[in-house]
Amino acid sequence: MVRRVLTLPSGRVAVGVLLAVGLLALVGPLLAPQDPLATTTDALARPSVQHWLGTDSLGRDVLSRLLDGSRVSVVGSLEVVVIALVVGVVPGILSVQLGRVFEWASLRIVDTLIALPFLLFAVAVTALLGNGITQAMVVTGVLVSPLFFRVSRAATLAVARSAYVEAAVISGASVTWVARRHLWSKVLPPIAVAFAQTLGVGFVIVSSLTFLGIGVQPPAPTWGGLLATSLGFLDQQPWAPIAPAALIVATVWASNLLADAIRDVTGEAGRDLLDRRTRRSATAPSLSRTGGTP
Amino acid sequence: MTTSETAYHRLSSVPSPPVLSVEDVRVTLGRGLHRARILDGVSLTVERGETVGLIGETGSGKTTLARTILGLTPVSGGRVLVDGEDVTRLGRRKRRALRRRGVVQYVFQDPLKSLDPDLTIGESLTEPLLLQGVPGDEARERALRFLGRVHLDEQLLDRLPGRLSGGQRQRVAVARALVTEPDVVILDEPVSALDAANRVQVLSILQELKAAGIALLFVSHDLGSVAGVADRIAVLHRGEVVEVGTTRDVVTNPSHPYTQLLLRSAPTLRSASADRAERAALRARLTA
Repeated sequence: MVRRVLTLPSGRVAVGVLLAVGLLALVGPLLAPQDPLATTTDALARPSVQHWLGTDSLGRDVLSRLLDGSRVSVVGSLEVVVIALVVGVVPGILSVQLGRVFEWASLRIVDTLIALPFLLFAVAVTALLGNGITQAMVVTGVLVSPLFFRVSRAATLAVARSAYVEAAVISGASVTWVARRHLWSKVLPPIAVAFAQTLGVGFVIVSSLTFLGIGVQPPAPTWGGLLATSLGFLDQQPWAPIAPAALIVATVWASNLLADAIRDVTGEAGRDLLDRRTRRSATAPSLSRTGGTP
Repeated sequence: MTTSETAYHRLSSVPSPPVLSVEDVRVTLGRGLHRARILDGVSLTVERGETVGLIGETGSGKTTLARTILGLTPVSGGRVLVDGEDVTRLGRRKRRALRRRGVVQYVFQDPLKSLDPDLTIGESLTEPLLLQGVPGDEARERALRFLGRVHLDEQLLDRLPGRLSGGQRQRVAVARALVTEPDVVILDEPVSALDAANRVQVLSILQELKAAGIALLFVSHDLGSVAGVADRIAVLHRGEVVEVGTTRDVVTNPSHPYTQLLLRSAPTLRSASADRAERAALRARLTA
């Protein structure tokens, strides 16, 4: 599927941007030209050779804070998505396979999770378990997991009741065989799309939580935190929100672009693409002896 | 049972058990107010190398009976014997082991839905063999052989089912049912979704299978298609077998009013002008 995604221009752009963001998360803190926490008297300075993106209200170098905060922002977002993926997908698939009792119980739990008001729940849990990035991300991941549950359950339901799965069962296929050979290829694309979309959502959530003071604590920088701080000084530094906002928007946009590319290479369109290639790669193409091309 | 064993049973005077035997099977589906009896005391046998047609109108329980034989629908009573072995109450492991032997195979009504759209024809054909533990190369070789047996080109092996015509797909479905060299194949309306030309092609393939000694249970609502292939015909009406007999007897001298109605309703040029009043009278007798 990765190869098929990369055949699309939108897929290549999305993967390129996300790789750049990943690289930024990896080496960003090392590239920071100055100490991101060091305050100076040069507050709210304009962009200059010394401070490429200016300084904030406490005189801290904005570029350094942006680079240093990229790791927490990206890792936090990934944490949300991975937790949601694990908590949502596994019960989503099992709810179809494990019978009525598990199905009923899992559906009621998911209904409850959907009904919980997100911010109120996040505040309550962080108040209970302490305010930290891990607590905040776990809460967010669990609350986002119903999306993965529903996507994986819907895809599994469609496949599990299909005639080709019954054909495999009649031939003696086990649940594992069916999952590996028939289920996985159908369930993976919608999950990948949900993953890419949630990555974008996760970014916004991490930023929103930082904005509210939940999760990452000041003075540790994050993209969302920088955006929130800069909005307080919009009249003096109207350019300040542009850099953190651009990074967040670019990552969310690339995630959605990747989701669209995954959707485009799977399903009917994806099968057509694969079939065209299969036939193109045939060494001696000729018409069928019996029926020709349908 | 192997081919040589089958030949032995055919030649020897020792009576072999029917390859498939359905004894007083009852199936009830649904819950509460929606609970309905779909099959009510159905009994049926298919001998080795015999073709039995199972006919009945939509909703008479034909597909449910086929699914019950395959263990896809649980029975409420009675039993199903394959090669003399009761398969009705087998545990999950034993049933899977029996299925992997490939003694009974099934051809679905809709060939497009019965083939995984993401798997090539080759992958679909080799699946039952891989489940038996046949090595990949050998499985592909056998798939190729059976593709030829249903008169399809070997190049289709790398195609996806969506790129095949309805007739080609149905023949692929038949080939998949044959790769395990089963003793009996259940065909659920194998020609009802096909045009006339493809119907003739598939029916002639079924004649070849019959000649090769494979037992067939041909499920259909179309008496005309069944009569051309079947040795015996069983008529299913509202979940009950109302008549069983040789094809000649059932077609020329039907004893049950429902069979008579089916024959009168067969869409032929002659029956188009048949007496409507007679059919209405038969329908009234059945309702009564």
